Amino acid sequence: MRDFSDASDAQLVTSVGRYDEVALAEVYRRHGGAVFGLARRVLDNGAEAEDVTQEVFLRLWNAPDRFDPMRGSLRSFLLAQSHARSVDIIRSQNSRRVRESNDAMKTARANYSIQNEAWDLSLADQVAQALASLPEEERRAIELAYFEGCTYVEVAKILNQPEGTVKSRIRNGMRRMRGVLAEHGVKEVENS
Amino acid sequence: MTHDEASELLAALALDAVDDAEREAIEEHLVQCPHCQSELDALREVAGVLGNSVEPLPEKLWTRIASGIYDHRDVTPPLAALTGERLGAPITHRRRSLARRVTRSVALPLAVVVAILSFQLANADHRASQLQHALASDHGEVVAALATPGHQLVNLTSSTHQRLVQFVLVPDGRGYLVNSQLPTLAPSQTYQLWDVIGKKAVSIGLMGPSPRHVTFTLAGTTGASELAITVEPSGGTITPSTSITASGAV
Repeated sequence: MRDFSDASDAQLVTSVGRYDEVALAEVYRRHGGAVFGLARRVLDNGAEAEDVTQEVFLRLWNAPDRFDPMRGSLRSFLLAQSHARSVDIIRSQNSRRVRESNDAMKTARANYSIQNEAWDLSLADQVAQALASLPEEERRAIELAYFEGCTYVEVAKILNQPEGTVKSRIRNGMRRMRGVLAEHGVKEVENS
Repeated sequence: MTHDEASELLAALALDAVDDAEREAIEEHLVQCPHCQSELDALREVAGVLGNSVEPLPEKLWTRIASGIYDHRDVTPPLAALTGERLGAPITHRRRSLARRVTRSVALPLAVVVAILSFQLANADHRASQLQHALASDHGEVVAALATPGHQLVNLTSSTHQRLVQFVLVPDGRGYLVNSQLPTLAPSQTYQLWDVIGKKAVSIGLMGPSPRHVTFTLAGTTGASELAITVEPSGGTITPSTSITASGAV
C-alpha cells in the first residue's frame, strides 16, 4: 500500500485529483479532526457537524483543483469550507438562529472559553494569547461572527453598536490577530 | 462595490459574517483586485487558526465518506448546494469522463477482434473500496495489486460523470476489480468489459450481472487506451450492442 505519511498536503491533493482514495484518507487523518471540530463548535450539534465534514471531504474529492497551495494552507482551505457550510446551516434555521442570538447576547462572553475546547495544544496557547490581546469589543465582535455564525449586521444589533463600528472592529481585530499570531511564530499566518 | 468598500468588508468575509449579496459583490471585486484577494487569503489563514479546534473524529464518519465518494445520488445534492450557496464559482467538472468519446468510437461500425485473453469471474463478498482496504482489512489479491509498484488505477465513469467502477492494473497486464457501483442486472443480462483500442472494441470478457470479483488480463493487447463496460445478453456479444455504461482511460 502506498505510504503518504511523508507527502506534503499539496502532493496529497494532487493524488486526490488522480482518484487516489488513500491520499484522501491521509488528508482526512491530518485534517478531519479540525474540520469536524470547527463544525461542531459552530453548530453545537455532532450529527450536523458530521454531515458538514462529509460534505467538505466529498467536495475535495470532486473538485480538488479548487485548492490552490499558493493561496494558503490546506487546513485553512478545509476549515473555510467547514465554517461556511456550518454558517449556512445556522442561517437556514431561523428559529434556532433567533434563540442563539438571544443566548449569545446574554452569555457569549461568559460561556466562551477557548481554553476549555479540545484545541490542538500547539496552537491553543498562541490563539488564546492572541485573542486575549485584543480589545474586548473587537474580541466579542469576532467571537460572535465566527463562532455564532452572525453577520456583522447581526453582531451590531446584538452589541447595540453601529454597523460601521462593528465592521471596523472586526477588521482591526483580525489584523491585530494576524500580527500577534505572526509574532508568536504561527507558521500559517507568517506564510500568508 | 468599490475597492474601499470591499476592503472594509474583507475581514468580515473571512469570518463568513457578510450576507449573500455582499459576498457576491466582494467576490466580483476580487476577480479584478489581486491586492484584496491576497489580503483575504491572509485573513482566512487567521480565521483558520482561530477555528483550529481538533476533536476526536466519530468512529463511523470515515466509512460514510468512503462510501459516499461512490454514491453519487447522495453526493451530488449537498455538493451542488455547497457550491451554489456559499462558494460562488461552480465546481469544475474535472471528473469529466471519456464516456462520450468512447461511445462515439464504439458506436461506429467496428472491425472487432474478439480476444478473450484470460478471464476469471467469481462472485464473492468483495465490496470494500480501495480506501477501506487501506484503512481496515486485507483483501488478498486486490491489496497485493494495489501494493505492486507501478500499478495503475483505472476509473470507469458514466456519461453523467459518475464513477461506477474502479480497476487496478499491475504492470504484467493483470487487472482486478477494486470497487463496483454497477446496479445488479436481470439474470438474462451481463456486464461485458471491453478494451477500446482506437476505433476497435475488443472483448475482454463477461463480468456477470452483479460484478463483485473480477480478474482479467490485458496481456497480449497493444495500445490499450480505454476500458468500457456495456450491458449485454447473458452470453455476451462480439461487438457492443448497447451504449457504454461506463468507461475510463487506461
